[in-house]
Amino acid sequence: MECSFALTGKDYVLVAADTTSARSIIKMKVDEDKIKTLSPHLLMAYSGEPGDTVQFAEYIERNIRLYHIRNLYPLRPQSAASWIRRALAESLRSRQSYTVNLLVGGFDTADKTPHLYWIDYLGTMATVPFAAHGYGSYFASSLLDRYHNPDGTLEEGLDALRRAIDETAKRLVVSPGKYTVKVVDKDGVRVIDL
Amino acid sequence: MSRSYDRALTVFSPDGHLFQVEYALEAVRKGTCAVGVRGKDVVVLGVEKKSVLQLQDPRTVRKVVMLDDHVCLAFAGLTADGRVLIDKARVECQSHRLTVEDPVTVEYITRHIAGIQQRYTQSGGVRPFGISTLIVGFDPHDTQPRLYQTEPSGIYSAWKANAIGRSSKTVREFLEKNHKDDLTREESIKLTVKSLLEVVQTGAKNIEISVMESYGKVTNLDLPQIEAIVQEIEHEKEAEAERKRSRLAATAAGQAAMSSRATGTPGE
Amino acid sequence: MSIMDHNGGSVIAMAGKDCVAIASDLRLGAGAQTIAMNFEKVFPVTDRLYMGLPGLATDVITLREKFRYLTNMFHIKESRPLQPSTFAHLLSSTLYERRFGPYFCEPVLAGLELTPSGTYQPYIAGTDLIGCLNFAKDFIVAGTASDKLFGVAEGLWEPDLGPEDLFETISQTLLNSVDRDAYSGWGAIVHVITADKVVTRTLKGRMD
Repeated sequence: MECSFALTGKDYVLVAADTTSARSIIKMKVDEDKIKTLSPHLLMAYSGEPGDTVQFAEYIERNIRLYHIRNLYPLRPQSAASWIRRALAESLRSRQSYTVNLLVGGFDTADKTPHLYWIDYLGTMATVPFAAHGYGSYFASSLLDRYHNPDGTLEEGLDALRRAIDETAKRLVVSPGKYTVKVVDKDGVRVIDL
Repeated sequence: MSRSYDRALTVFSPDGHLFQVEYALEAVRKGTCAVGVRGKDVVVLGVEKKSVLQLQDPRTVRKVVMLDDHVCLAFAGLTADGRVLIDKARVECQSHRLTVEDPVTVEYITRHIAGIQQRYTQSGGVRPFGISTLIVGFDPHDTQPRLYQTEPSGIYSAWKANAIGRSSKTVREFLEKNHKDDLTREESIKLTVKSLLEVVQTGAKNIEISVMESYGKVTNLDLPQIEAIVQEIEHEKEAEAERKRSRLAATAAGQAAMSSRATGTPGE
Repeated sequence: MSIMDHNGGSVIAMAGKDCVAIASDLRLGAGAQTIAMNFEKVFPVTDRLYMGLPGLATDVITLREKFRYLTNMFHIKESRPLQPSTFAHLLSSTLYERRFGPYFCEPVLAGLELTPSGTYQPYIAGTDLIGCLNFAKDFIVAGTASDKLFGVAEGLWEPDLGPEDLFETISQTLLNSVDRDAYSGWGAIVHVITADKVVTRTLKGRMD
């Protein structure tokens, strides 16, 4: 089942999402990248109803890009997250709403701070030091309560992330096999091999 | 029925002209000059910059804008109209990516812009856009540079090199004389600057140059770079003039010598 | 479980002598799972009026943004202070606009109303999710711990409490009520509003 994790550290945000794309109990694909790079310093992991997820993520991606082109600078993480939340909240009260859960992580180049937002399909948004969606969240939130260090180095952050992923792999019946991990910091977005 | 009278319709004149469109072209002719030059694997946009007022922020006055990663546009005419048209084009670029996953081709976005311009010549209650545009860029997965022009009427066409706006005729004639196929990057930039210098008296500080070298690779030349090119062109011109002068002097001297020989020694 | 209980959270407002207080817990949950422990549910409307929004978190945020917009527009268009009683009716009519598809929030107001004589009078009010106003002289409670809050507040509140006593009363009421509610807790934030200032304090509770 779908799992995504994210955590902040000293001047970076780590975002991880599993790579399986499933239909009911069947795995259709095992190398799907479910983390979009919205702007040079902004990442969004998405999960939820297949179809809704990609459709919504691409809609967001194009609009954030359009903002960048129109204004010559990108939206800051907080503003981007607010806008994305609003898109979901408005969709919730429409005829057909998007069932998409998000983790939005970004590095604010203006004040040099990392930001992480937990957003669910209802349009609930929380500013958090670490976050998770899916069944993995039951393991990750308690584990990261114990092991997360908001001022940790990237290596420390990766260790904490590894713990969360390993625990999920160990205890969850329907655990995913592979994850994509991305980090965003002052230098932009990088993919990390765990 | 009486309502159709107070609408500013674009209607034919008895001899088949659309006056509003022609007036729009007039607005373009009053706008600052923009030049586009296509090289072998590079395409250059150059515009004449109006000098900004002393207290104005020059960064907020833009005549060359990006429509997407790989498409660049320059316009001549009413800046206010340009802004609106550019915004429509930018939305279309992203919308195109969203619906078919691919970025737009340069021809596609040109056709789209020209389509909008045409629509504003055929419906009631609107006036045409008072701008012509030069659109440059590279198609995805392609190395061929592209250069297109659109006009207020909705005409669009592809070019090797072209100019729009004030004195565009002079510049175009200059380009016709000097453009060659397969220009290198440096040659293309130089030709652009040279052609602009035909009409821009104030030199480098009123010229803006954007160079696109491949898909999504755009550079805007800064003032020192443009100044260097202008200087180089002036040196060449001087050298040329010098050569001409010395050649003229040589011929004159030769002629003088011949005539003096003819008249100086009559007795031989 | 009702949709009103999905994210959990509670708010209480109390009136004192020339002062009012409003407080909320800090939990944000998704059902039984806790997502965040820093989710404030009380927001300033004016210098002397605060609004608590317990209920479905998405609507908490949406309503906060909506009322920020509406109060800003009021200030621009009317260029006069927005009184609590005026805002209460703005709140009521805005919520009733969604009579048949409501925002799942039960707002609580606490503020000081300017009287014709130039003094300030405590003003507290609450509404249901479709904007039925409810005024009280003593206290207003709302959220997943509202039943417990009623009981404790009934026992602890007394008339004419000064700012410091009111702070103590509202804090003890909230902290002890949310301890018996699984959907509220993780500390609290308390605002005590007097005519010349607002004192905001963050409290730790049983952080489990």
